[in-house]
Amino acid sequence: MESNSNTSFFLQLGILTKRLLLRVWRRPLAELPNIFISAFFLFVYDGALGEVFGGGVAGTPFDFAKGNFVNFILPVSIVSASVSGGASGVYLVEDIESGVFKRYQGMPISKWAIILAPILVGAMRVLIQAGLILSIGIIIGADPAAGIFGYFAVLGIAFLWGMGFAGYSVAAGVRSGSSQGAQAATFLFFPALFLAPTFTPRYALKGWLQTASAYNPTTYVIEAMRAIMIDGWVVDLVIKGVLISGGFALLTLSLAVLSAKKATEKA
Amino acid sequence: MFAVEANNLKKTFKTKQGEVEAVKDVSFQVKQGEIFGILGPNGAGKSTTILMLTTLLRITSGFGQIQGLDVEKQDKDVRKKIGVALQETGIDNLLTGRELFYTTARLWGLSKQDANERATELLELVGISEAADRRVKTYSGGMKRRLDLGLSLVHKPEVLFLDEPTTGLDPGSRRVLWSEIKRLRDDGVTILLTTQYLEEADELADRISIIDEGLVVAEGSPDELKSMVGGDVITFTFNNEESVAKAQSLIEDSEIENNDLRITVENGAEKIPSLFSTLQKNDIEVTSVSANKPTLDDVFLQFTGYRLEGTEEKIKESEEKV
Repeated sequence: MESNSNTSFFLQLGILTKRLLLRVWRRPLAELPNIFISAFFLFVYDGALGEVFGGGVAGTPFDFAKGNFVNFILPVSIVSASVSGGASGVYLVEDIESGVFKRYQGMPISKWAIILAPILVGAMRVLIQAGLILSIGIIIGADPAAGIFGYFAVLGIAFLWGMGFAGYSVAAGVRSGSSQGAQAATFLFFPALFLAPTFTPRYALKGWLQTASAYNPTTYVIEAMRAIMIDGWVVDLVIKGVLISGGFALLTLSLAVLSAKKATEKA
Repeated sequence: MFAVEANNLKKTFKTKQGEVEAVKDVSFQVKQGEIFGILGPNGAGKSTTILMLTTLLRITSGFGQIQGLDVEKQDKDVRKKIGVALQETGIDNLLTGRELFYTTARLWGLSKQDANERATELLELVGISEAADRRVKTYSGGMKRRLDLGLSLVHKPEVLFLDEPTTGLDPGSRRVLWSEIKRLRDDGVTILLTTQYLEEADELADRISIIDEGLVVAEGSPDELKSMVGGDVITFTFNNEESVAKAQSLIEDSEIENNDLRITVENGAEKIPSLFSTLQKNDIEVTSVSANKPTLDDVFLQFTGYRLEGTEEKIKESEEKV
């Protein structure tokens, strides 16, 4: 039995990711709140507003859902579900707090594998949670104008957005050195979701909120998803959404890598 | 070639209050196959020394070598030679003991089959086979320490670093761990351990380095260190403080400790009668008298000016007051 300490990077990443997935599997209750809140929003918004905006306002300027309010409100719940990527930072900080991180530092393991594993698990979490909400949406009547590929496009944008939160939580968690710091991603989420065209399009918002939402990147993510669901492939809106969610992911993941690199350096 | 060499190690931390010298000047050599103990109170610099030698902390000045490899310049190679069990055990409580061994073995590059075999072997070695498939959060403190020890052995290291391996354990668990550490030494593993327990250092270590305030104050085998103190320690016990003080004024080189008076002499049995008669002539009532070989605590007292026994309690008391 020979130990070969030159295990490949991908094997190390796979082993560390599997360990984290085992941790997630053993704490199922920790996964429920976010998925529950996202599904709850979807049902409640559709229940409260679906009747009026799903058909009652046909022929008026408020017919923005074009007869299907689920298509209009589903992106909000998907964006909400994608915040689950914020768990990445919590996973990493838990390992720092428990001393597992230090143990790995004393082994010949790539530090990038140590940092990427929780981000990868966060990414899987985003895909699963956003996918589940999308499935619920389909069951209760979502029908994207862009067709079946529209589902994948919406999921893709949600994934990039979720990765943005994953990067943010890792950076915040490592810098603060506490799980609370990592969970700060959630606090950022509420203003991000509600200072946006959450319930109506931007043109129907009051002036101050219209201005605030123009500066909020979430606005463009929701608008891209809505365009796919309601109007089809509206190229400029979709590209804007992809660029903004992708840029957010790139920015925060770079921050995460820089912070984590600092954390793995010797004192 | 020494298994471990520390040469004038120094570590300075920058804090908001200024620079703190955690380790001022620490040097020692650990021979192949021996248990080397670093003995000292909390805050003496023991753990910082271990962290520097195990590549986990940058060395401010001086240098360290493991099996001839420089811990700073050849850190990756050093990590393959050493096993480390730190004070703050890095154990994933949600996994089972078997899963932890398997995962660690895979990360060390063992194949799936070899990792499974190694996990079973180590679970047996550290005596937790029966709890192998239980999550670690259900383990007792002693079991966790044994698991931690086992995890540091997965890749069959040549040198093992144990930072206060039995702190917080009950006497029974402590003895179990001691016998495992001795067995590893008998199997040829060089072990460097830190401890604040005199009994542990006496029982386990072939040689000891006493560290206080970041400096090595004495080094040698337990017997060598004790012989530095002198032959025997005579202890007279009195009823009251007044008698102790009076006795001290009559006996040269004696030290008061509570209601005891301690004198270090070459031969206790020969010296007691004359000392006893001096006290009787001066009407000082003696409650009891004993002559013992010096303990490591006597050694510690001689070199540092205070006793190690009870320092933990004193630290706790002062922390509670704060």
